[in-house]
Amino acid sequence: MSVVEACGCAPVTRRKLLAAGAAGVFAGLVGDQLATQLAFAADSSYAGDVLVLLSLRGGFDGLSAVVPAGDPGYYAARPGIAVPKSQLIGRGTYFGLNPALAPLLPFWKAGTLGAVHAVGQPAPNRSHFSAMEELERAAPGTTLRTGWLDRMTGRLGADHPFDAVSVGSARPARVLAGPAPSLGLTSIDDFKLSGEDPKRPMAATMAALYAGAPDALAQTTAMTTGALATAGQLKAAGYQPADGAAYPDTELGAALRDVARLIKADVGLLSATVDSGDWDMHENLGAAAPGKKMYDHLADLAKALAAFATDLGPAGLGRVTLVTISEFGRRVGQNGSGGLDHGYGNAMLVLGGGVRGGTVHGRWPGLAAAQLVDGDLAVTTDYRAVIGEILRARCGISDVASVFPGVRPSSLGLVSAR
Amino acid sequence: MTATADFLPGDPLLHLLRRATYGPTPESTAEIRRLGAPAWLERQLKPAAIADPVADDLVARLPLSRLTIDGVRAKVRSGALKMYGWDTMYELGCATLARSIWSERQLFEVMVDFWSNHLNVTNPSGDVWDSRQDYDRSVIRPYALGRFADLLKASARHPAMLTYLDNRFSSKAAPNENYGRELLELHTVGLGYAESDVKNAARLLTGLTVSWDDGRYRYDAGRHATGAVKVLGFRHTNTSAKGGEAAALALLDHLALHPATARRIATKLCVRFVADDPPPALVTRLAQVYLDNRTAIAPVLRALFGSAEFAASVGAKTRTPLEDIVATVRTLGYAPEKSGTQALKALYWITESAGQAPMAWAPPNGYPDVAAAWASPSGQVVRWNAHLNIAAGWWPSTLQRPASLVTAFAGTVPATYGALIDAVALRLVGRTLAPAHTTAIAAYYGRTPASALKANDAAVGWAFPYLVALLLNSPYFALR
Repeated sequence: MSVVEACGCAPVTRRKLLAAGAAGVFAGLVGDQLATQLAFAADSSYAGDVLVLLSLRGGFDGLSAVVPAGDPGYYAARPGIAVPKSQLIGRGTYFGLNPALAPLLPFWKAGTLGAVHAVGQPAPNRSHFSAMEELERAAPGTTLRTGWLDRMTGRLGADHPFDAVSVGSARPARVLAGPAPSLGLTSIDDFKLSGEDPKRPMAATMAALYAGAPDALAQTTAMTTGALATAGQLKAAGYQPADGAAYPDTELGAALRDVARLIKADVGLLSATVDSGDWDMHENLGAAAPGKKMYDHLADLAKALAAFATDLGPAGLGRVTLVTISEFGRRVGQNGSGGLDHGYGNAMLVLGGGVRGGTVHGRWPGLAAAQLVDGDLAVTTDYRAVIGEILRARCGISDVASVFPGVRPSSLGLVSAR
Repeated sequence: MTATADFLPGDPLLHLLRRATYGPTPESTAEIRRLGAPAWLERQLKPAAIADPVADDLVARLPLSRLTIDGVRAKVRSGALKMYGWDTMYELGCATLARSIWSERQLFEVMVDFWSNHLNVTNPSGDVWDSRQDYDRSVIRPYALGRFADLLKASARHPAMLTYLDNRFSSKAAPNENYGRELLELHTVGLGYAESDVKNAARLLTGLTVSWDDGRYRYDAGRHATGAVKVLGFRHTNTSAKGGEAAALALLDHLALHPATARRIATKLCVRFVADDPPPALVTRLAQVYLDNRTAIAPVLRALFGSAEFAASVGAKTRTPLEDIVATVRTLGYAPEKSGTQALKALYWITESAGQAPMAWAPPNGYPDVAAAWASPSGQVVRWNAHLNIAAGWWPSTLQRPASLVTAFAGTVPATYGALIDAVALRLVGRTLAPAHTTAIAAYYGRTPASALKANDAAVGWAFPYLVALLLNSPYFALR
């Protein structure tokens, strides 16, 4: 077994360690100078979209969000919880949106929000835990142990922690596991050293204690002090969302607000990942009305996404593509508790300036008994192919297989080329 | 300072304590100086003979962590626990942390962690809600310093492993290859097997399953796929369904004794105890010791810690987040809270936010054990903040701390800032700092090392925990 295997990652060769050099230069300065003089280490050479990954944890019911109103199988399978046709919004000939998504309707109509249906993993996996693991490793049949966002940002030459950020938790995000630098933040304002004080500069002292140490020790510390300085600058600058964007007072709202803040501050962000939990609705999913579980969850999701899109504005949204994923969809037929058990095929929402939205992409497999996979919506498009199409058209990654081994991008026409 | 070894005290006894335990304490340092390295190691290799009252008391406060599968299910029936609940697994995580910090059986606890990673079953995770604590109790701990072949066979017949890697669902009609593959790739020989080996192993393992009635292990001959198998030099006619379990166990014995397994385990032990990039000659020798001793682990550890390569490896390991947090409490010498588990829970969440709660790694390959995998700014910030929070008694706030940290770590107040920094560094990291680093810490307080220290200065008052934190944040402590 080599070190590479023990680490579960490729050797650290890609890190150009811009920040390491910068912090070395500034190591002798006291903290407040460090904070103001260390410029953002943005990689201005990247001209693609920031890819924002929104993980809907627990198994999102795409059929409740993007409703196949034209398929009689939907209404037959869900006598208590189907969304009536009369309540659907943004209706096309076959699909309509759950009315809880109303805050997103302007973006749907403007074509910056779209959906893909009947997407999922190449094989059914109805265990939350192992399905999430496979979803984020995204390399079935290989021995790769890295996460796909790490491979993507590595492919784009990520060399600074703010190139790839997960917002909401300091824990390393599985999807970012691997050698490319990344940062886990509970929030921008919380990313700080306890006790940091202009009179007693903690970070600058740490930089001095690690200065000149062998690379293995010095490099991470240089990145840490550099990232702390960047966060300190952002914090000092304050943040006011644009155009009256009103983020809901939820974890997702706060996280997307921070992502917008990073995008607008030009810190060099290539990708951000955010979680939204609690979609595992085995009982009492409820009708499409306020106070009901699924409706309220979708409404919170829609408010946060609408605020994010409003805040970015057309210019900002023009260099962002946000995609939702979930470990699996849910069973077509409702269970005895008015809920839905773990299923397979699902819908993805896609938001961004380059999106060809207002419509549902993908091939619909149908909900008749013979068309289901063990009672679940079949998968006609691999989620990796969908993201691959975005990576190729919007992020300048031509060899999608370097991120998703063996996968060819879909040609749904989901996004326009940059 | 051009080499990592420059940051560490040269004392070989402290080197052994940093590697074979979760970090030196004043007590363990005194003990190893009294016994000498060989006698200290022999004592650690016989953990049952070491009294362990502090850890025993803490684990007794976490009674769910010691339950059998039957015990968990009985509590579900009585309404005391929820089916699929995680309380038992969180208690196991806290109990493991308590033992890592305060157990006298330090090498044993390090090896429990090593094997928990090698034969990973994520704690907590949903499907092993009734069995994960029993896996720790009846598989990992009994064999942690025993024979690997016995450990491997125990894991293969435990509901937690059979559930985690899906073998309970495998049958002759539809073999599930998950366990068969990881058994070869992760538990034994490593990469280099053929797909046919996985298929054959998966077929031979069919029938090793879990009873839906009581959650216990059972061998179900009705699910076993008969027919001759070949796996990496192992052959079995596998003619009867009844004999399937014995045939599967024979395969496990064969794999445990395979030279590739010997090399893999020797390598992983070297990565844990010697260096991220282990010396090949040492790996080769240890693999032979492993085979000569029929997979017994204690002789391998004896050879490892006695080797010239080990002695020469000062500075070649960096603390992982878990090792860092555990060593922080040990180094400070704080005692557990008098009653309750509030501090243990706080420490558990600290390790979780640092990315390494005990046994919580999700994929089957176990936590990475090399510095490069943990070199993340967010992790470093969590750890640095934890050093200050723990040292100052802010969070957790219920550990028993000395009445005066200054007196405990520096004695009577020294005359200068330099002397203060020297004294505290000597106590916490076993050596004084390089002059430039002493200067940097004095500068944090706006002074120089020669500045006179007065008894009412902040540095020996409210701001003293920051000195402790700066030392624990420094490379002098980050290295193992």
